[in-house]
Amino acid sequence: MTKKEKILLKASIALAAVFAVAPASNAMHIMEGYLPAGYCVAWGVICLPFLIAGFVSLKNKVRENRRNMTLIAMAGAFIFVISSLKIPSVTGSCSHMTGTGLGAILLGPAAVSILGIIVLLFQAVLLAHGGLTTLGANTFSMAVAGPFVSFGLYHLCRKLKVNRRVSVFLAAFLGDLFTYCVTSIQLALAYPSEAGGVGASALKFLGVFAPTQLPLAVIEGILTVVIVIGLETYAGPELKSIGFLRKKEAK
Amino acid sequence: MILIDKLCYQSKLRYVNATEKFVYAVLSLVFCIVSRSAAAAVLVFLANGILTVGKGKIPLSHYIKLLLVPAAFLLLGTAAMLIDLSRAPMDAFAFRIGEWYLTGSTASLTRVCRLWITALSAVTCLYFLSLNTTMTDILEVLRKMRLPTLLIELMMLIYRFIFLLLETASAIMTAQESRLGNRDYRTKVRSFGAMASALFVQSMRRSDALYDALESRCYDGTIRVLSQERPAKKKEIVGIALFESLLLLITIWSIIE
Repeated sequence: MTKKEKILLKASIALAAVFAVAPASNAMHIMEGYLPAGYCVAWGVICLPFLIAGFVSLKNKVRENRRNMTLIAMAGAFIFVISSLKIPSVTGSCSHMTGTGLGAILLGPAAVSILGIIVLLFQAVLLAHGGLTTLGANTFSMAVAGPFVSFGLYHLCRKLKVNRRVSVFLAAFLGDLFTYCVTSIQLALAYPSEAGGVGASALKFLGVFAPTQLPLAVIEGILTVVIVIGLETYAGPELKSIGFLRKKEAK
Repeated sequence: MILIDKLCYQSKLRYVNATEKFVYAVLSLVFCIVSRSAAAAVLVFLANGILTVGKGKIPLSHYIKLLLVPAAFLLLGTAAMLIDLSRAPMDAFAFRIGEWYLTGSTASLTRVCRLWITALSAVTCLYFLSLNTTMTDILEVLRKMRLPTLLIELMMLIYRFIFLLLETASAIMTAQESRLGNRDYRTKVRSFGAMASALFVQSMRRSDALYDALESRCYDGTIRVLSQERPAKKKEIVGIALFESLLLLITIWSIIE
């Protein structure tokens, strides 16, 4: 082996060791301290209108019926728990669902934005996924952009009379992919490449995270479908109470 | 069940005034990120290590393991910054692939190193807060910062429910495991879905029962709990003020530079 090959080998062993030791938090949270201060503030400000809209809708729901308070809190805890549990993955690495697709389909994007920021805060403090300064950027990608795409797609598919299971899969799968694309762009904006600027940098981030994110998005889609099937079978009345199934649809 | 939550209840710094800890952690975090200077980062990293492991008595092995949690993201994220595909080789390293070069510049190499230091010391700030302060104390601080009561209330309920649901989920998963529910990949996926939907039904029922229980005890939208006052010691305040002004100086200096 030449000297260069030896160095390469050592580097790849070190890399592999880190992957074996570190439980890879695959949900694509931008870690604490990764973004420059300006970007942290900017993404936070961009999230504000969505959060305010979410807060107002939350307030109205609670005023309408106080029982909704515990219901929404349970939904938030449900999203947190689902996203903190290890999911069956092919590679054996430890990965998590984002749960955003499921949340958006069940609760609507407005409620998810405010629940999302709370869940992300808890994930940062309790699980060290994401961080306090990157809360704004993570909220935008996971609690605003992803859910909006999921929600929009789901309803578009339903309008087009696509099979419910297919539309759930598409919504969760593409919502997850969109989250991953938005995060890559966020990273690229903060750290443009020297040769090629933001565009090239975005491509690089997309490429680097693709091997973990693409299978994850497929798994997320499949799991969301399995969960929704389970819910339709066992939780008709509950789904009706949160407005997911219309009365005639829930037998 | 959640490691960080369990550890923060055994921390020796748990009963130190929560606002003080919150202010210290957030200020250090902000200075670290605004200044992006290696000096500030190393200082914060050491201070948090000494405080959390030395004073808080959080086991070192746990602390190191927790520091490795974001390592995968950091590695992938910085690899993307470091490696460029270009026709012309750059100064740090270059591997030839046909017409193109897999290459990186010294400038981006130093940038990546700096980012590593800053990000890791920012993570220690987060850990200082979460390993030494219980969630209820953090929520109390947020209440003092005039966050809307509705939000605080929601967060408190969610925090409580997380553990209820985790307990239920782990019971269901144990039951599945003991009945060959993870036999192969197909069954694994099916079991996970079944667990999640059962969990959802359970959580809805629980929330109903909880609301009934609350209402029968005159719930009017706010849950009032007594918070214990633990006044901050003068010595600690002076220490934090000195440390933060040092960081402020470094920050100003690095901005001027």
